[in-house]
Amino acid sequence: MTINNSFAQTLRSIFTDGGVLLFCVVVPLLYPVLYAFIYNGETVREVPVVVVDDSHSRLSREYLRRLDATADASIVGRASSIEEAKAAVSRREAYGVVYIPSDFQESLMTGRQTRVQLYCDMSGMLYYKALLTANTDVSLDMNAEIKVGRMGGNPIAAASGIQGGTAEQQSALQHPVRYEWVALFNAQSGFASFLIPAVLILVLQQTMLLGIGLITGTRRERKEKAPSQWSSFQTLTGIALAFIAFYIPVSLYVLGVVPEMFNLPHIGNLWEVGCLLLPFLVAVFNLGVTLGVLPRKRESVFLIVVFTSVPLLFLSGVSWPAAAFPPFWHYFAQIFPSTHGATAYIKLYCMGAHLSDVRTEYFALWAQAIIYGITAWLCVRYVYKEHPKPLQP
Amino acid sequence: MLDVFLRELRRLATTPVYWLTLVVAPLFCALLFTSLMRSGLPADLPIGLVDMDGSATTRNLARNLDAFQNCHIAERYASPTEARAAMQRGDIYAFYYIPRGTTQKLMSQRSPIVSFYTNNQFLVAASLTYKDMRMMSELTGGAATRTVMRGKGVTDGQTMALLQPIVIDTHPIGNPSLNYSIYLSNILLPGVFSLFCLFMTVWGIGIEIKESTADELLATAARRGHPGAASISARALFGKLAAQGLLMQLVGWTLVLYLYGYLRYPCQCGIPTALGIMTLFVAACQGLGAFMICTLPNLRLGLSFASLWGVVSFSICGMSFPVMAMPSWVQGISHLFPLRHYYLLYVNSMLDGWPLAAAWPYVLALAAFALLPLLYCRSFSRIMARTAYHP
Repeated sequence: MTINNSFAQTLRSIFTDGGVLLFCVVVPLLYPVLYAFIYNGETVREVPVVVVDDSHSRLSREYLRRLDATADASIVGRASSIEEAKAAVSRREAYGVVYIPSDFQESLMTGRQTRVQLYCDMSGMLYYKALLTANTDVSLDMNAEIKVGRMGGNPIAAASGIQGGTAEQQSALQHPVRYEWVALFNAQSGFASFLIPAVLILVLQQTMLLGIGLITGTRRERKEKAPSQWSSFQTLTGIALAFIAFYIPVSLYVLGVVPEMFNLPHIGNLWEVGCLLLPFLVAVFNLGVTLGVLPRKRESVFLIVVFTSVPLLFLSGVSWPAAAFPPFWHYFAQIFPSTHGATAYIKLYCMGAHLSDVRTEYFALWAQAIIYGITAWLCVRYVYKEHPKPLQP
Repeated sequence: MLDVFLRELRRLATTPVYWLTLVVAPLFCALLFTSLMRSGLPADLPIGLVDMDGSATTRNLARNLDAFQNCHIAERYASPTEARAAMQRGDIYAFYYIPRGTTQKLMSQRSPIVSFYTNNQFLVAASLTYKDMRMMSELTGGAATRTVMRGKGVTDGQTMALLQPIVIDTHPIGNPSLNYSIYLSNILLPGVFSLFCLFMTVWGIGIEIKESTADELLATAARRGHPGAASISARALFGKLAAQGLLMQLVGWTLVLYLYGYLRYPCQCGIPTALGIMTLFVAACQGLGAFMICTLPNLRLGLSFASLWGVVSFSICGMSFPVMAMPSWVQGISHLFPLRHYYLLYVNSMLDGWPLAAAWPYVLALAAFALLPLLYCRSFSRIMARTAYHP
């Protein structure tokens, strides 16, 4: 039975090869945990900011007090000029400067617009987002109150008779239209919840590619080939069964246990994730066997697989929205199992979609499994197997 | 040392793997990232609309929302449930919900409530569509007030001052257009390249052990100069690193010229300083790579070490998620990654244009990485001679 032999041989190679065990067991076990620790802060709070208050007035102090009270910003210092404040930014003591002009209160009291200047360090988008949100929130709050005269008289409002009135009228004036924002799925807008699911899929794909590459590389280096009388299909199936059997518990840990351990939002059904896992693992396996012919040395597989993790994370369309991909990269991304795997896993497990909602990705994975299956079969037939000896004339 | 240098140059020129990893792959990644994000900000992201009111006012609102830069109303849905299902399928990143009776309440000044839903599982798309939808909601409220004020004989200019007494003027230092490519590519490209520098330094030394050419290397080093074991070691190690460094520096400079010369990404410090920072960074990666393979003198283990270390750099350098929000022990180990220091230097010099003196600790840290091979400059020949390859 070729399948049995090939299965047993592959399992033996997996368990006797330290390199394979390192990448197929230790890395999937520890890396998700490490990433979860790195990103588990989820979001950046209390971004340090330096303020320059040229107004020194009741209203400017009110503005700054409210700014400091937001969750996103924290005033760490006051400076007498913008230059002095920027120097603090250059020393990395703060990530932004808020400047309140000298005519702040005067403008507000006389019914003119006033402009608060916000300078943001752009080394990280999250700093910028936090500072902008904090300042916008404070200004909108104060604007609404100024409108109904709660912050001291606004002459225009007073003259046109819109101030005063009942509390209900005031409230309608403050907010002619009220709005609510609901963040779905990743309700706290956390960074771990956003990035880690895609990273998990990539960890599975990349470690499996490495594992297969190490094993096929070793065999090629030692010039070990499957006997020529073995059927190519059965040989491939045997190897596949060994790898996939090995990866089922690993995947369940990575995709099922890790999100649980770190309380990443997940509302999906693990069984449906299991259904998705099957074509994903088969596709990755066949891709791995196909790629295994490229390197001539056992170690070359590192060079190919490791660096692609970062581009593949981008091509999965999780961080940079897939809708904004240029067409070429959109099609290019389709050839990797991780693109469909990550999108479908996020939809199923994090967003509570059902298998029927991810049928595009599901069928794409099966299509990959079949196409890479054919290439893998060709590789086994012509590269990993001994050629039958020509008959002696 | 010259002999070793020349021998290594010959090896580099004749082995395709060096060209693929040090030239082709980094340049491919450079093209990939910069062309993937060439629009800078994703525009016209598909969003949904649930308009249960269906009045002229709400239609106008939808038209205006569609005209915003980041949003494009791709689909209309009959109910929020349908829209939510579309979001789960990934058809839309967000949707805007206008309940029945909105216009009527607006006219009678009874503060109607509209809502918008974003899919924060896709954080970038969510925050961009959120921004537009919130702005639209504020403007709608403003338009309502303006109608009232016009009726009372107040000019539009005066009304604006009433609607928005405090305006925030935002000045994003160094990246005024909020270009994501500037934010990400500036670190991703050097990051991927540093991975290759790390790998190929490990590879270059490890392959000599694996293919038993270490004797030949040491013999080349012994051909000229002081015959002591220590000086042979130093000549072999540094001759090798110098030749590899030459190729790596050329590629590193190409990347800098591509980013700041061709794409004209902000480079406040000027290109010469940027080239200097890149030079130091490449040397640091080489130093770390040489340290890794000398500590674990086996190609496979060395590469494993380099892979595991190198891949974490991207997360721990703080480019996307700030280091200050990580646990303190992670903040501590972040210093052990050259990319972290490169990132800080990039922010200091290229992005913000502060003098290099303001960032001396990071320069020093990179220099320390670059000097790591000194630890092995005496024992290098012993390591190379002693270690036999175990497959």
